[in-house]
Amino acid sequence: MSTARSVEMAETETSATPAPYDEMQPADGPVRPHYAALEARLATLTPGQLAERQRTLERFFLLQGITFTVYGAESTTERIIPTDLLPRIIPADEWAKIEAGLAQRLKALNMFLTDIYGEQQILMDGVVPRELVLSAPSYRREMQNLFVPHAAYANVCGSDLIRQPDGAFAVLEDNLRVPSGVSYMLANREASKRVFPGTFRGAGVRSIDRYPDLLLSTLKSMVADWRPNPQVVVLTPGVYNSAYYEHAYLARLMGAPLVEGRDLVVHDNMVFMRTTTGLRRVDVIYRRVDDDFIDPLTFRRDSGLGAAGLFNAYRAGNVVICNAPGTGVADDKAVYAYVPQIIRYYLGEDAILPNIETFLCREPAQLSHVLANLDKFVVKAVGASGGYGMLVGPHSTKAQQAEFADALRADPENYIAQPTIQLSTAPCLVDSTIEPRHVDLRPFILCGDKITVTPGALTRVALKRGSLVVNSSQGGGSKDTWVLSGDGKAVRP
Amino acid sequence: MMLARVADSLYWMGRYVERAEHMCRLMDVMLNATLDRSEAANQVGRIALASADHPDPAKVVDPYEAALALTLDRENESSITTSLANARENARQVRDQITTEAWERLNVLYLRMTGAGAARAFADGSSSFLTEAIADLHLFKGAADATMSHGEGWSFLTLGVHLERAQLIGRMLEVCFGEGRTTAVSDHFALTSLLRMSCALEPYLRVYTADIQPKHILAFLLLDAEFPRSIRFCTQRMEEHLSAVSRHAEVAPAANPERLAGRLKARLQYADMSEIEAGGASAFLTTVLDECAAIHQALYEVYVAYPLELRLPA
Repeated sequence: MSTARSVEMAETETSATPAPYDEMQPADGPVRPHYAALEARLATLTPGQLAERQRTLERFFLLQGITFTVYGAESTTERIIPTDLLPRIIPADEWAKIEAGLAQRLKALNMFLTDIYGEQQILMDGVVPRELVLSAPSYRREMQNLFVPHAAYANVCGSDLIRQPDGAFAVLEDNLRVPSGVSYMLANREASKRVFPGTFRGAGVRSIDRYPDLLLSTLKSMVADWRPNPQVVVLTPGVYNSAYYEHAYLARLMGAPLVEGRDLVVHDNMVFMRTTTGLRRVDVIYRRVDDDFIDPLTFRRDSGLGAAGLFNAYRAGNVVICNAPGTGVADDKAVYAYVPQIIRYYLGEDAILPNIETFLCREPAQLSHVLANLDKFVVKAVGASGGYGMLVGPHSTKAQQAEFADALRADPENYIAQPTIQLSTAPCLVDSTIEPRHVDLRPFILCGDKITVTPGALTRVALKRGSLVVNSSQGGGSKDTWVLSGDGKAVRP
Repeated sequence: MMLARVADSLYWMGRYVERAEHMCRLMDVMLNATLDRSEAANQVGRIALASADHPDPAKVVDPYEAALALTLDRENESSITTSLANARENARQVRDQITTEAWERLNVLYLRMTGAGAARAFADGSSSFLTEAIADLHLFKGAADATMSHGEGWSFLTLGVHLERAQLIGRMLEVCFGEGRTTAVSDHFALTSLLRMSCALEPYLRVYTADIQPKHILAFLLLDAEFPRSIRFCTQRMEEHLSAVSRHAEVAPAANPERLAGRLKARLQYADMSEIEAGGASAFLTTVLDECAAIHQALYEVYVAYPLELRLPA
């Protein structure tokens, strides 16, 4: 799975941190009621049977071609994303809070984007520092004063949530650019229905099957209403992109053509695709290509993945690009620290889902606190992602810390710091035995004329014991996530 | 209406699937035949290798090694695994256009042929290995036929299959009866092997009985109206599907591949075997293969790589 922006976390646990929250069973108590049915089922299965089911699952993924390509020096191989057999279960009351929190957050962030690319009232009121927003590399001046239907800049959002040791969920990152992973959510569901049909039927799991058609109607809602039957396409960087499977999957389930940049032609500020019967007008582009690459005339000139003139067609209102370019400014690592204030500013509400405590090194007081505690913090460069430009305090050498201290002093605006976070754990099948592993939660939220939170998520798993890194590029896997329609108690096993 | 790139990929997926199947058959027949050590067996080996575009069939000492390379060698451009990898790569590019049922069949075969156990399985029994691959390719075609919509995409896929098939059969006939052959193939064993390579033995026997004659084989593989591997049959399918896809495109008649396919179909439909023999089978085969190449060319110019300025909206 490609994670356009990935979760970076401390690599190992430190003894000083509190014990993680376990999704299935607290350290000193019985199994949580919503896990009881699964636990009862597991008790009837031998390690051999479990391993057999794990193989069935892996074969399902391999046959479907749900793989990512590993480019090696000598040979190129395809691997499946490590997928865990045991579902992660979330009861209805917990989900209700997550759902409300995510909807609130996306609503506020879209209002923030509308404001930033419009009047910039929030900057004039001094709620978020002006230079922090306008100097962010993800801020796109080109988007200033552009009309976006329903003020929905981010149409597809895949937030990363984590559960803290006290059991409360918090947002680690808002992914508003081109979040991926939704195909794994859907594929994991297909697989777990095959593996635990009885338990699944009894548990009352909420369906996520409608995601593709909700996505399609969200995309269609972004078109000006004078164009009936809008032509929606999915724009992919191509078959060599590690998330290609997902692009093809969504295109197939939406019935939308999967196009590459070379299939698109811009003429007279209108976008066309090259078909066998000539050029056909395109109305909505669900792009899975980063801002930088969508139009060589406006953004990166060396990009061959987009279409020349696309942004001008967008400016002219002749095509809709989803997500809108420039949404990255709202999930910037430094802006992140201000999201609770942003929610209060626009909605007059407190954030339902809290942030992780974040120190902005641009503030001298916070910088000196970070410098004094470099061995405890995770320090991240604001502009970087994917684990680059990052210091994991508890796991670093004195020399690395000294190097980062110099970098922090030289360019404090470029860094933030967060305490090392203890993710919750969930039972996973590792070498035929069930062991706890750290997990996070990536739900998917759609926003067009209305906001829809899909009742399910991708649960990412750090498959290495004790590891807190859930990135697929670093040995992370995933598992199905069951959102229950009830509390999960009154079910037959 | 579909993306030109997608049509291109479906077309090539069809071509590569057909190429892989034909190569399986060539290798299977060759390995079976060369179990005997006779001049006829050697001749069959040379025919198979030449049909597989082997650079120098006469120099091949060990048919098993040659077959192994043409089956599993990823470096070899004509090998079965290369064709399958290309077919799957094209399928992956248009994964949204083909059904999961069809994709799975192709993917399973690809994974088996490129997996760690493939070399071992080939060594253990090349014949069952190749026969199973052919059966899997039939499953793929059947699954595609039964689950995909028979619309434009299907037409491009089918066009690829039949154009490739016509060219492969044409190439094989050229090897046996074309110009530059010192001795025409006349041996009974070689002739039956030729029929086996085109999967034509049983259908041939039903038409001509066990009277196996070069001119009957030529007539059957070139001109038979019902046998799915005769060039005439393939051309009929090509014309049908070209006519289906041209319904929506505004194509200048002169450049239309449908016209070329129709002309070739008529040439084969009204051909007379004695005339062909009088003029030389080789000249006729050359014409047929040239026209197949022209159809491919025209298909590209009209549907895939057309000049944009001609197609801009008014």
